[in-house]
Amino acid sequence: MENIIKGRARLLGDNINTDTNCSSKYLPGKDNAYVAQHAFEKVAPAFVGSFKAGDIIVAGKNFGINSSREQAVHVMHLMGVAAIISHSFGRQFFRNTINNGLPAVECDISGIADGDEIEIDLASGQVNVAARGITRAVPGLPPAVRQILAEGGLIKFLQKYPDWKAA
Amino acid sequence: MGYTIAEKILAAHSGGTPVRAGDVVVADVDFAMMHDARAGNAMKMAAKLGANGLPFAKRTALVMDHYSPPPHIEAANTHKEMRAFAESSGAVLYDVGDGICHQVMPEGGHLTAGDLIVGTDTHSVTYGAFNALGTGVEGTDVAAVMMTGKLWFRVPETIRIELKGQLQPGVWAKDVTLKMLGRFGAEGANYRALEYTGSGVAAMEIDDRMTLSNHAAELGAKAAILEADDKTIAWLKAHKARPPKPVKADADANYVERIEIDTAALVPQVARQHNIDDVVGVPEVKGKKINFALIGTCTNGRLDDIRQAAAILKGQRIARGVRMIITPASREIYLAAAREGLIEALTRAGASFEAAGCGTCVSVTGHLITGDGDVAISSANRNFKGRLGNDKSEIWVGSAATVAASALTGFITDPREVEGGQWRAA
Ligand code: SF4
Repeated sequence: MENIIKGRARLLGDNINTDTNCSSKYLPGKDNAYVAQHAFEKVAPAFVGSFKAGDIIVAGKNFGINSSREQAVHVMHLMGVAAIISHSFGRQFFRNTINNGLPAVECDISGIADGDEIEIDLASGQVNVAARGITRAVPGLPPAVRQILAEGGLIKFLQKYPDWKAA
Repeated sequence: MGYTIAEKILAAHSGGTPVRAGDVVVADVDFAMMHDARAGNAMKMAAKLGANGLPFAKRTALVMDHYSPPPHIEAANTHKEMRAFAESSGAVLYDVGDGICHQVMPEGGHLTAGDLIVGTDTHSVTYGAFNALGTGVEGTDVAAVMMTGKLWFRVPETIRIELKGQLQPGVWAKDVTLKMLGRFGAEGANYRALEYTGSGVAAMEIDDRMTLSNHAAELGAKAAILEADDKTIAWLKAHKARPPKPVKADADANYVERIEIDTAALVPQVARQHNIDDVVGVPEVKGKKINFALIGTCTNGRLDDIRQAAAILKGQRIARGVRMIITPASREIYLAAAREGLIEALTRAGASFEAAGCGTCVSVTGHLITGDGDVAISSANRNFKGRLGNDKSEIWVGSAATVAASALTGFITDPREVEGGQWRAA
């Protein structure tokens, strides 16, 4: 995983439950490919149709709230989500993004519009939207977490460092 | 500046150096749990890690509770896989009908005061009732614990909640949490740990304390921890838990917030249909007609809940047109209820019992379908639209006392106004 992620902003609203909108919890028997084709359609009907691999989800507050399934992150990988920026995340969802190697950054999203080019610098902790003159500092992730993310998630991290001791 | 219980437990499990809210630690986990709704994912992740065995699987419980009994082939096959996994890995197995994960974990002696426990379920906060830091994780996390015995944690900020005064008869821990949900909103404590303290907690029996910790999940809490007292220690001993290592907060611990609740003045509460934080006092809505009454779940399916229901319904008959289902939280509770004659009393009153498990919580077993326009009153923890399988019905949530009193009259009823509604655990 690179420290600098660039992509197109795709906006979603507040309080999105990713169990309901991005998992098969309520679609028994449906696989990730099916869920990926219908993700978020309850809250943003046109979202998936125009989503391209490498896009960045920019969501309002409490993204992933009340949602515990890490399947949602697997589905987002399948969609090609490069990163997520949100004002705040549901606790379990945030944990799942790290465990599954999807960068998720807490940041004020005001002023960012759908389609804006965004740059996230994970190392220095910055979100930039050059066209709008936005530069925002974001809380840096602790090293223990950055290492897991850098390896692409907890499973890959432990396959490489079975005793949790990263070099 | 002193430390909170969560800070102390996480420090003690990650080498002993003090830690503060916001730090990230890799900590030794005492016991882990996965249930049948998430075990498929956890076992898949474990398969990717298991090349050198899963040495900590013997400190993991697999519980068949959500699909108890399994309503479709997919669930029945997951159960088969869980049995085989337990056999080969040495994990502890709880089969169909043994009970809900959050009940069998403490009953099975798998946790003690001062422990760090994870489970694939948001209500893993229940273990806080025993002074353990219990928290919800996903399959990848439990797979990591089975392989390494460890997991990463961000140390949470803590809110201290003082319950001032003993609850009146007919008022329960359920009502305390509903009141808080009304005040702070669902997820109002997202990410935070809660510490409950005060004379209101001291007066509660263990069953009610478990409700208090359990229901904090609806507030979004990462943990909901009580201090251990004589009742806690005696309970743990009786269930053959490992020796307790009680952890207390420092008097000058760093809390993000301190809240006081006048528990002595509290009246029974209900959450109205669809939103667990749309809460009013029962006196404000009494007279609302109901036709389905449910007692069970990891929040309120314990022995004291069933005793309370029996105190109200023994020798009576539930109202015409009402159906009532009770699901004990575990086989042990089912047996105790049988020994005490509660099953007979409640069955004669018109209730039906189902196998211990999550049955009354969510419509996965398919036994709870409501009709169009039906109004259910339930002792569960969630009431969003369609939770019982029909978008056109309503679910209201209250204590087991409120549910039983309402089943008796056919209307939402204040338990303090019916005979037996003031029953108290001795
Ligand atoms: S009883 Fe309900 S809330 Fe509790 S573990 Fe089972 S499904 Fe989850």
